[in-house]
Amino acid sequence: MSIQRREFLATIGGGALAGLAGCSAVTGGQQAQPGVAGETLTLTTTTSTYDTGLLDALNAPFEDMYGVTVDSVAQGTGAALETARAGDSDVVMVHARSLEDEFMQGGYGINRRDLMFNDFVIVGPEGDPAGIEDMSSAAEAFATIAEAEAPFVSRGDNSGTHTKELVVWDEAGVEPGGAWYQETGQGMGAVLNIAHEQGAYTLSDRGTYLSQRSEIDVGILVQGPIGGGPELLANPYGIIAVNPAVHPDVNYDLAMAYIGYVTSPQGQDVIEGYRANGEQLFFPRALSEDPDFQQYVPEGWSSDAGDS
Amino acid sequence: MPLEALGAAGLPIAVGLPAAAGLPFESVYLRSIVAVSLYVSVTAVVLSTVVSLPIAVALGFSDFPGRRFLAAVITTGMGFPSVVVGLLVLFAVSNQGPLGTFDLVFTREAMIVSQFVLATPPITAISLAAIGGVGTDVRDAARVLGGTKVDVALVTLKEARYGIATAILAGFGRAISEVGSVLIVGGNIAGSDGVSKTRTLTTAIQLEARQGRYDTALVLGAVLVVLVLIVNAVVVRIGDEGVMQ
Amino acid sequence: MILRAVDVSVAFEGEPVLDGLSLGVETGEVVAVIGPSGVGKTTLLRVLALSTRPDEGTMEVDGVDAWAADEAERLALRRRIGMVFQEASLFDASVARNVEYGLRVRRPWRDRLGEGLRSLGRSEEPAAAVREALAVVGMGDELDQPAQSLSGGEAQRVSFARALAYEPDVLLLDEPTSDLDPRNTAVIEDAVGEARDRGIGVVVATHDMHQAERVADRVGVLLGSDLVEVGPTATVFGDPSDGRTRKFISGELVY
Repeated sequence: MSIQRREFLATIGGGALAGLAGCSAVTGGQQAQPGVAGETLTLTTTTSTYDTGLLDALNAPFEDMYGVTVDSVAQGTGAALETARAGDSDVVMVHARSLEDEFMQGGYGINRRDLMFNDFVIVGPEGDPAGIEDMSSAAEAFATIAEAEAPFVSRGDNSGTHTKELVVWDEAGVEPGGAWYQETGQGMGAVLNIAHEQGAYTLSDRGTYLSQRSEIDVGILVQGPIGGGPELLANPYGIIAVNPAVHPDVNYDLAMAYIGYVTSPQGQDVIEGYRANGEQLFFPRALSEDPDFQQYVPEGWSSDAGDS
Repeated sequence: MPLEALGAAGLPIAVGLPAAAGLPFESVYLRSIVAVSLYVSVTAVVLSTVVSLPIAVALGFSDFPGRRFLAAVITTGMGFPSVVVGLLVLFAVSNQGPLGTFDLVFTREAMIVSQFVLATPPITAISLAAIGGVGTDVRDAARVLGGTKVDVALVTLKEARYGIATAILAGFGRAISEVGSVLIVGGNIAGSDGVSKTRTLTTAIQLEARQGRYDTALVLGAVLVVLVLIVNAVVVRIGDEGVMQ
Repeated sequence: MILRAVDVSVAFEGEPVLDGLSLGVETGEVVAVIGPSGVGKTTLLRVLALSTRPDEGTMEVDGVDAWAADEAERLALRRRIGMVFQEASLFDASVARNVEYGLRVRRPWRDRLGEGLRSLGRSEEPAAAVREALAVVGMGDELDQPAQSLSGGEAQRVSFARALAYEPDVLLLDEPTSDLDPRNTAVIEDAVGEARDRGIGVVVATHDMHQAERVADRVGVLLGSDLVEVGPTATVFGDPSDGRTRKFISGELVY
C-alpha cells in the first residue's frame, strides 16, 4: 500500500470517525453541542437527487443530529461543479465520473466517496419504431436510432445524464445531429414530457422515470444494469468535498461530517429505504467489505504514472 | 372597499386552495415561498423607489454633467435581460468576486440586489415622465411662496403621485415576476422541512415545470397573479386615500 | 419702504427689458404698475419677488440688500413676500392644504415631520390663519374642496388666500384679475384693500387702468424699458408730468 493511499484512507477514516464521534456525542446525551451547530452547509447537486425527493429525506436526520441546515442547490452536474470551483458551495453530489475526475484533477475536490447508484434506461414510444426493444447493447440501440433517424430528445445541458448520453453516442460511433435530434436544455422531467408528447426516444435516469411514470406514457425499451441490461448504462453518484486549501472559506468540517453521514450505515440505509411511487430509486454503494480504491482517485489514475 | 375585502379573503383562499385541491403542498411550503417572494420584491422596490425618485427629480429639472448619459443608462436598463443581471450579480457576490467577503451567494439579500437593479430603470423612467408633466407654474408657485428646493421637489412629487404609483407598480411587477436572475443568485433553496430559504413563487414554478409537473406550476402561477392583483389594489387605494396628499 | 428696487436693469438675450428702474412700496399702501401687455411687468414683479436677479442695481427688503446677503438670509427675506400670478397654479390637493402651504414650509422640519405622521392617523384641523385668509376672499366654506374642482374665479381667490395666509410684508399681484368675471374681480379688489388695511405693501401689475384707478394709492407707468412716471394715482391719471404717459393714457382711454 503506497503512502498516498494510506494517507487517503487515514483521512477518510478520520473524517468518518469524527462524524460518528459527533453522532455519538449527541445521541449519547452529552451536554456539549457539536462545534458545527447552527451552521449551514451548501450542497450543490444534480437535479435528479433533488427532484426525486431523496435529498429532503436524506438531509433531515443529518440536520437534526448536528443542529445544522443543509442548503441543497439543485443546479445540474455541470453547474454544481462550477459553483464549487468558485468556492460558493462546500460539497458536491453529482453523477458524471468524467466531470468529477476533472474536478479533482484541478485540485478543487478532495475526499471523494462513491455514494449510491442507479441506472439509466432508454425509453421510447409505444410501437418502438426504431425496433430497439430489449437490445443488450446500449451503443447498438443508439446506433439503430440514429440510422432510423427516429426522433430523440436530449438534455443538452451538461448534466450527468447528458454526459452519459454523449458517452453512449461515442461508443456507438455516432455524432448526433440533424432534425431528429433535439437538444432542449431542460430538466429530466420536462424532457420526459417532451418525449411523451412527441413520441420520441430519450435517455433517462431510472429514478426520475419511476417517479414520473404515473403521469407519462413512455416505456422502458432498453434496461440498465439494475434491470439486467448493459453495464454502460450504470449511473453511479459520487460525493466530493471542496478543497479548503483552494477556498479557505468553505465549511470543510461540516462537509466532512456530511460525507461521513451519507456514507455511514445510517445514511446508506436511508438511501436504500427511499421509495417513490412504491419503487426503490437509489441503491447504496459506499460501504463494502471488499475494498474499492478507485472511488478515491480519478479513473485510471495510478501512482506509478508520471503525474498525479 | 369590495376590492380590499376580496384581497383580504383572496390570499388565504389562494394559499389554502392547493392543499384543499389535493395538490402536494403543505401550506407551510406555500406560505414560505409567498413570504420570500414578497420580502425580496417589496424590499427591492422600496429601496429602488428611494433611489429613483431623487434621480427622476434631478433628471427632470436640473442640468448636470453626465445627465444625458444617465438618461441613456436608464432607458437601456429598462430592456436589460434579467438573466444577464443575475449573472453579473452572481459574479459580483461570488466567493471569487469583489463582494465575496459578504457571503451573499444563495441568499435573499443577493436576490434583492438583482431585483433592485431590474426595478430601478422602469421606476425612474416612468416617474420621470410623470414628474416632467408637472407644470412649471406650479413649481414656480411653490418656490415663490417660500419653499426651498426640497419643498419644491416634494410638491412636484406630490403633484405627480399617480404617475409615480404607476411607476412603482410597474417596478414591482417586474420584480415579482422575475425568475432568471433570482434563480441564478438565489439557488432556489428550500429546506427539508418545506420552508423556503431562497425559493420564490417564480422559481418554484420553474422547478415544477422542469419536472414536467405543469398542473402544479399553473396553480402556483395563479397564486402569483392573485398576489400581484392584491398589491395593485392596495397601492391604488393608498393613492386615493389622503395619505399621499 | 418695505420693498425697494434701486436702478435695476434686466436684459434678455441682449434686449433690455428693464433699464435702470427704481420702484418702492411702503407698508400699508397699494402701488399699481401699468403698461402695455408684454412690456415687462412680470419681469419687474419677479425681480421684486427676489426670484430673478437683476443684471444691475439692488433690491432692498426692509433696508437689507437682498442679493448681497447669503442664501439663508435671502430665503428669509423672500419669505416675507407673497405673490399671486395670473393663473392660479393651485396644487392638486384640497383648498385648505393649498392655503396652508406657506405656513407649512416656514415651520422647522422636525415639526413638519411630526405633523405629517400625525396626519396619517386623523385629519388635522386647519390653522386659524388658513380659515381667516379664506374668509377674506369669501371662500371660507370651501376648505375641503379639491382645488381641481374650483372654477377659474374661485381658484384665483384661493390663490390670493394662499399668499395672504402667512402674513407677508409685501404682496405682489401679477395681472390677478385678467381672466376673471366682474364679480370675482371685485372680490379680489376688495381683498387687496383688506391687505392694505392690514399694513401689507401691495404691488399690482395690471393693464387695466380702471382697476389701477380703483385700487391704487400710487401708480407707476412702465413703457418700453423705463418707468416713465411714478406718483399718486390722481396725479398720474389727471395731470401726468411725462408726455409719454399722457399719450399712453389717452390712447388707452380711447379704447
